Amino acid sequence: MASSGPHVIIGDTDDDDFDWDAAVRAIDMACQSSGPSTSTAPADPFRTPCFAPSDALCGGFDAPFAADKRKNGASRQSTLDKFIGRAGPRLEVENRAVAVEDRGSFDSNGEVSCVEIDVEAAKTWIYPVNVPLRDYQFSITKTALFTNTLVALPTGLGKTLIAAVVMNNYFRWFPEGKIVFTAPSRPLVVQQIEACHNIVGIPQELTIDMTGQISPTKRADFWKTKRVFFVTPQVFEKDIQSGTCLVKYLVCLVIDEAHRALGNYSYCVAVRELMAIPVQLRLLALTATPGSKQQAIQHVINNLLISTLEYRNESDPDVSPYVHNRKIELIQVAMGEEAIQINNLLLNVIRIYAARLSAMGILLNRDYQTLSPSDLLNSRDKFRQAPPPELPSVKYGEVERFFGALITLYHVRKLLSSHGIRPAYEMLEEKLQKGSFAGLMSRNEDIQRAKLLMQQNLSRGTPNPKLSKMLEVLIDHFKSNDKQSSRVIIFSNFRGSVRDIMEALSKVGDTVKAAQFVGQSAGKSLRGQSQKVQQAVLEKFRSGGYNVIVATSIGEEGLDIMEVDLVICFDANVSPLRMVQRMGRTGRKHDGRVVVLACEGSEMKGYMRKQANSKAVKKHMRNGGIASFDFHSSPRMIPHIFKPEVQFVELSIEKFVPRGKKVKDDHAETLKYRDKLTPDEANLIAKYFNNSERGWKPSLIAFPHYQTFPSRVHQVMHSYRTGMLIDSMQHLQGHIFSRNKDEEEFSSFQQLGAERVGQQKDDGEGFLRSSKSPDANPERCTLRFQASPTRTVGTAEKHEQPELNNGNPPPHSCLFSSDFVTVDACGNVSILLVPSLHIMEISRTKQNSTTTEHLSCSKTHFDKSCPSNEKIKVQATLPKGPEQTLPLDMPPNTETGLQFQLHSSDWQQNGIVDTIERSMGIKLTDEILQNEIDSPRGTPDVMEVKAPLPQADDDMETALSPRLTDYFESGVVPESPVGGASCAKDISEFHERDNLGTPKRAKISTGILSTSRSPSSGKFEKVVSDSFDSGENISGSPANNTKDSSMNNVKDVNERCTPGTPASEKIPPETTGSGCCSKDWCFTPSNCSGSIKQQQKLKRLRRVGEGDSHLYTKCRKNSLPSVAEHLAGMESIQNKRSRGKKNCYKNGKAYIDEEAEVSSGADTSDEDEEDAENDDSYDDSFIDDRINPTAGSTQAATASVDMIAVYRRSLLSQSPIAWQANNTSTSSPDSLAVGTRMSGSGCSSVVHTKYRVSGSSEYAANVIPETGEASKVESRKRKLGVHEQGSLPVVNLEREFSIHTEFVKEENGGDCDLFSDDQFYESIDLDEVEAQATLLLKHKTQFSRHEQENVPRQDIQNSGCPNSPSFDLGI
Amino acid sequence: MEEEPTFDTDLIHAIFKNIWTRRALERARNEADDAVDGEQAGAGTTKKNRLTSANVNALKLSCELLRLFVTEAVQRAATIAEAEGATKIEATHLERILPQLLLDF
Repeated sequence: MASSGPHVIIGDTDDDDFDWDAAVRAIDMACQSSGPSTSTAPADPFRTPCFAPSDALCGGFDAPFAADKRKNGASRQSTLDKFIGRAGPRLEVENRAVAVEDRGSFDSNGEVSCVEIDVEAAKTWIYPVNVPLRDYQFSITKTALFTNTLVALPTGLGKTLIAAVVMNNYFRWFPEGKIVFTAPSRPLVVQQIEACHNIVGIPQELTIDMTGQISPTKRADFWKTKRVFFVTPQVFEKDIQSGTCLVKYLVCLVIDEAHRALGNYSYCVAVRELMAIPVQLRLLALTATPGSKQQAIQHVINNLLISTLEYRNESDPDVSPYVHNRKIELIQVAMGEEAIQINNLLLNVIRIYAARLSAMGILLNRDYQTLSPSDLLNSRDKFRQAPPPELPSVKYGEVERFFGALITLYHVRKLLSSHGIRPAYEMLEEKLQKGSFAGLMSRNEDIQRAKLLMQQNLSRGTPNPKLSKMLEVLIDHFKSNDKQSSRVIIFSNFRGSVRDIMEALSKVGDTVKAAQFVGQSAGKSLRGQSQKVQQAVLEKFRSGGYNVIVATSIGEEGLDIMEVDLVICFDANVSPLRMVQRMGRTGRKHDGRVVVLACEGSEMKGYMRKQANSKAVKKHMRNGGIASFDFHSSPRMIPHIFKPEVQFVELSIEKFVPRGKKVKDDHAETLKYRDKLTPDEANLIAKYFNNSERGWKPSLIAFPHYQTFPSRVHQVMHSYRTGMLIDSMQHLQGHIFSRNKDEEEFSSFQQLGAERVGQQKDDGEGFLRSSKSPDANPERCTLRFQASPTRTVGTAEKHEQPELNNGNPPPHSCLFSSDFVTVDACGNVSILLVPSLHIMEISRTKQNSTTTEHLSCSKTHFDKSCPSNEKIKVQATLPKGPEQTLPLDMPPNTETGLQFQLHSSDWQQNGIVDTIERSMGIKLTDEILQNEIDSPRGTPDVMEVKAPLPQADDDMETALSPRLTDYFESGVVPESPVGGASCAKDISEFHERDNLGTPKRAKISTGILSTSRSPSSGKFEKVVSDSFDSGENISGSPANNTKDSSMNNVKDVNERCTPGTPASEKIPPETTGSGCCSKDWCFTPSNCSGSIKQQQKLKRLRRVGEGDSHLYTKCRKNSLPSVAEHLAGMESIQNKRSRGKKNCYKNGKAYIDEEAEVSSGADTSDEDEEDAENDDSYDDSFIDDRINPTAGSTQAATASVDMIAVYRRSLLSQSPIAWQANNTSTSSPDSLAVGTRMSGSGCSSVVHTKYRVSGSSEYAANVIPETGEASKVESRKRKLGVHEQGSLPVVNLEREFSIHTEFVKEENGGDCDLFSDDQFYESIDLDEVEAQATLLLKHKTQFSRHEQENVPRQDIQNSGCPNSPSFDLGI
Repeated sequence: MEEEPTFDTDLIHAIFKNIWTRRALERARNEADDAVDGEQAGAGTTKKNRLTSANVNALKLSCELLRLFVTEAVQRAATIAEAEGATKIEATHLERILPQLLLDF
C-alpha cells in the first residue's frame, strides 16, 4: 500500500487483507487486473452503470465490478496519498478530489459526501466483548466494515450483533454520519432498536425508531436531529423521495431480512434512489434465507449492490459449536378415508376439464394428478399470450373458465390434503356461491357428491388426521416438558386452519393454553388481530399466560418470539425459505425440535422437492458464492490511509428505555427540582409526600370546631356553601351538647374525635387501609373504643363487628352496628367509632333502660346505642298509635344491629308480626338513626376499601367522627345545601333531609344512620338537618365509594346494592331510609323536641313516610333493617314492600321468607329481583306513581314516558328502593290526592301526576334527587307542605327531576352511582333548600294535613296491608 | 395583565399533562386487557387515545385560579398560625381552614 503514513502503521495488516482480498476477488471475477493506479477514464463509464437504479437488476457486472473496485481503491488511495501529509484528512476533501480526478461528472453535485471522519476513531474499530466472542461473527463483521456484505446466517446466530457492531463503528468514525437500519415490520423495528442498543449501547438520544406511525413532519425533524435510525423500508423510501432524509449524510445502511429485496420492494427502491443521487455508503444486508433459488439470490445481490456474500450454515466449523441441536421430524400423515374419496371425486372433475384443455392443445398432456396450480397458471399465461391459432376465438372464454375452475379445484385439493376437510369445504362452498366456477360446477355430480361427503364428515366431526396427530405430538411434548416453561408454536399457512387448530386445542384441557397469532387484515370470515393484540399475545406468551401460539406466516419472520421448544409445521408444502424461518423459531438458545406434518401424496412430495431445492441453493453459496454469483463493487468508506485496527472493548450500555416511556425525563425532572431545595424543604416534602405513594392527605374533619365559625378570609369571600357548612356544624355541635346531657360524654366524644384524629394522623392512611380488611376492623374498633370514653361501647362494638363479619350482609352490619358496625362493614372503624361513640354512649345510658323496657330486650346493646332518643321515639310512637308498636320493633332492630343474630330473629319477628312491623318503623327510626350514623362511616370505610377515590372519603370518614360531632355542634354541613334547607324547615325538612340523607345513606348505608342518630339523640330538627347534611356529605362519599367499589364481593355488593346499586339502589335505600327516616324523624321530633308541633310534624312526617310506605311502613321498617343490612336491606325493603303490597298481593309469607333470607344476608340480588318483579306485579300503580312524579316534575307528558321507563327500569333494578319510592310516592300521591282530589289513592296515575304536579314540585324534586324513593317520601312530605303553600321548589325540583330522570336512565342502563350522587347532591341542594323553606312554613299545616291524609291512605293501604301505618294522606 | 406573577403556564401544563398521561395510560392498559380478553378473534382497535389538551387561554385561567387558591390557602392558614403564635404554617393550620376553603372555591 502506498499509504505508509503515520496513521496506518498498526492497522496495516488488517486493512491490507481486506482490501487486497476484494481486489483479488475482483480480479478473479473480471479477469482484469490493473495496478493500484488506474486511469480515471475507464472508471466513469463503469461507475455510472453500477449505481444507476436501472442497472440494479441487470447482470454482466463483472467487468465493471472489477474495474470499479480497483478504481475505487486506486483512486482513493491516490487521493489519500495526497492527503497523507495532512493532519485531518476529510472524506469530503477526498471525495472532491476523487471527483476531480475520477469522476468529473460528480462535480456538478458538489460534495458527494460531506461526512467528516473522526481521525482518532478511525484508527480503530471496536468489537464489543460484552458477549462471548464468536469467530464467525468477528470475521463477518470485519468483512462487513469495508465492503457491502450480504450476511446469510442461520437464524439465531446473531446477525443483529454483526449489524450493531458495524453500525457502532460507523457511528464512531463519522461523527456527522447518519446510520439507517431497516427492518420490514414495525415490531421488528422496535425489537431491533432494543437489541442493537443492548449490544453496543449507542446513546439513545441519538437513536430513533421511525415507522409509518410517525408523521412525516416529525420524521423530517428526527432526520435532522438524530443519527441512528431504525425504520421500516417504506418509511425510508418515502423520506428519501420526499427529501426529508438527509441522504448526503448517510454512511451506513443495514437491511434486515434482505431476502425481501426483490422486485420493487421498498428496499430495492430505496437503494436505487440512493445510488442515483449518488451516495456513498456501506450496505449491510442480513438474512437467514437469501433466497430459494440461485437466481433469486443473484437478484438480491444485484439490488443491494452486494460485493461479498458471507454465508454460514449450521455445519460450518466455526458456526457449529453455537448451533443447538435441532431435531427435525417429518411425520407423514395418511389422508383420511373420506378425504381420499373426496379427493378422488375432485380428481374426476379435474380430469374431465384437464382432458378438454389438453385436447385443445393448451394444456400439456401429462398426468393431471401431478399438475399444480402454478403449472396451470403458466399454461394460462401462455395461452393468453399466444392462443393456439386453430382455436376459434369464441372458445377463449371457455378456456379461461376451465383454467379458473381447475385452479380452484387444485387449490381445494391442496387445502384438503394439507389442512383438512373443513377449509377445503369452505373454499368450495364459497366458490360455488358465485362466479364462473359456480356456473360450471354447480350441477356437476361429482362436485355435489364431494360437497355432500364433506358436509357429512363435518357434521360427524370426524377429526382431521393431521389435527389428531398434531394433538398427539403436542400432548406428548407437554408430558415430557414442563407445561409452564415450555413453549410451542404451531405454524399454519392458512387462517382457516388456525381456527381449526384453536378449536381442537381448546378441547385438550388446561395443559395447553393457546392463543392465535395472525395478521392484521380482516378476512372474510375471520377477523385479524391488531398489532396491539399481537403484542399482547406475545407478551402473554413470554410471561407464560399462553404456552402455545398458533401462528400464520407473520410468526415466522424475525419476531423475537422468545425461545420455543417445539415448532409444529402444520403444513409442509411451503417454500424452503419459510421453512427455515419457521424452524428458526426454535433451537436458538437451546435444543429444539421441529415437527413437520405432511400429508401423504402431493404435500409430501412438494416438501421433499423443496428441501432438495434448498440444498442446491446452499451449494451455490459455499465459498462466498464467488462461483455462482456476480458481485458488485463497493466503496470503501474509510480511506486507505486509515487502517482501523480492532479493539476489543467492554462497552458500558445504559439500560434501554423504550420510547414513549419517559421514565428518564421524569426522573431528571424530579432531580432537578430537588436540587433547588434546601435540606429543610426537602425534609418537609419528604414528611408529607414521600412516605408513600399516597402521601399525606390533609384531613377535612380534623378540626370540626374550626368549622363552626367562618374562618378569616384573605381575598376570596366565603361561599354560600361554606355558610351552610358552618350552620350545620353549629347545629351539630349544639345538638351534641344538648343531646349529651352528660358533659362527660360529650367531652369524651370530642376527645374521642380528637384522639381518633390523632390516631388517624398517626396511623395515617394505614389505619384506613388496614380498616379495609375486616380483621383489622376489630382492632381498630378496639383502639377507637379505648380512645373513646365509653369502652364498654367499644366492646359492644367489637361484638357487633364479629357478628357483622359473621355473615350478615354488610349493610346490616353497617346499620345495626352502624355505630360499631360502620367499622366492621367498612373497615374504617374510626369513623364509625366516633359517631357511634357519641350515639353509643348516649344510647347506652338512656337506651339501656328504655330499650330494655320497651322492647324488652335482649338487645340492650342496641338499645344503648339507640339511646334515649329511641326511647323517646318509642314513647312518642306509642302514643301515636300505629307507631306504638314501633318501639318494640325498635329494640329488636337495635338488638339486631348490635347482634346480627338478633337481627335475623328480629327480622323474622318483624315479618311475622304486623305490630312488629310497626314497631319496626320505630325501630327503623332508631336503626335509621344508627344506620345513618353508621352508614356514613361505613360508606367511607367501604370507600376506602374499595379504592383510592375512597381515600378522600376515608379521610372524610376518619374525620367523620369529628365531623359528626362538628355537625352536631354546628349543625351545618357544608357539603349538602340540603342540610341547611332541612334545618330551616324543621321536621319536614328533616324528613326531606332524612330522605335525602337516607338515600345517600342507603348508598353509603351508614352515613345516614349517623345523622339520624344525631337527630334522634339530640335536637331532632337540628340533628336531623345535621344528619342530613352529614348524610349528604357521607352520601357523596359513599357514592364515590360505591362507584369505586363497583366490583367488590358479595358483601361489598350488598353494601353497594343498598348504597350504590347506583341510583336505583340508592333510591331504594333512600326510600327505605326515607321511610325509616321519616318515621325516625317523626319519632325523633316527638322524642327530642318537646314541642308538640314538632312532634306532630315528625309524626306527620313519619306518617307521611309511613303513609308513603303506607302499607309499606312495615316494608320500610323492614327496609330500615334492610338498609342496615343493605343487601339484606334491599331484599328486606322489597319484602317490606311486598308486605306492604301484601294487601294487594300474596307475598306475605314469601316476603317473610325473603326477609329471613335477607336477614341471613343471602340471595340479596335474587330476592331483590324477585321482589322487584313482585313489586312490579304489585305496582301498576307504582309505575303510575312513578310516572306521576315524573310527570309532575316535568309536567310534560313526554317527559313522563321517559321517566316511566326510567322508573320502571329503576324499579326493576332498584326494585326495593323503587318500590319503596313507589309506595311512598303512591302513598303520598294518595295522600295528596286525598288531600286535594281525594280520588282513589294511587289508583290513577293521572291523579298522582296531578297531585304531584300541583303539590309536588318539591315532591318531584325530592324524588329526583333521592332517586325517587327517599325523594318521594320527602316529596310527599313536601307535597303536604306544598299543598298549603304551593310549589316553591317546583322549578328547581323539576330541573332536578329532569336531571334525575336522566340519571335514572343512566343508572338503569348501568350502575351510575357517581353521576347520580353528584346530581343528586346538586339537585338536592337547590330543591331541598327551596323545599325546606316552603316546608318549614307549611309544616304545621302539612302535618295536620298529613295526618288527615295519612288516615285515609292508611285505610286504603291498610286494606292492602293491615300493618301499614297509613299515615300519609289523611286529608 | 401580568401585574402579578402567577404560575408558569408551562409548569401547570406539565402538571396537567402528567395527570392526563397517567389517565391515558391507565385507559390504554385497561383497553389492552380488554383487547386481549375480548378480542381474541377481535377487531383491531385502531382507536387512538388522544391526550387531553388545553388551549392557551384555558391554561392561563387555570393558572390564575390556582394562584388564587394557593394564595388564599396560604393567607388563611397564616391567619390561623398567627393566632396560635406560630411563625410557621404547618399542615394542621391548613387543615383547619381547608373545609371552608374548599367550599369557597
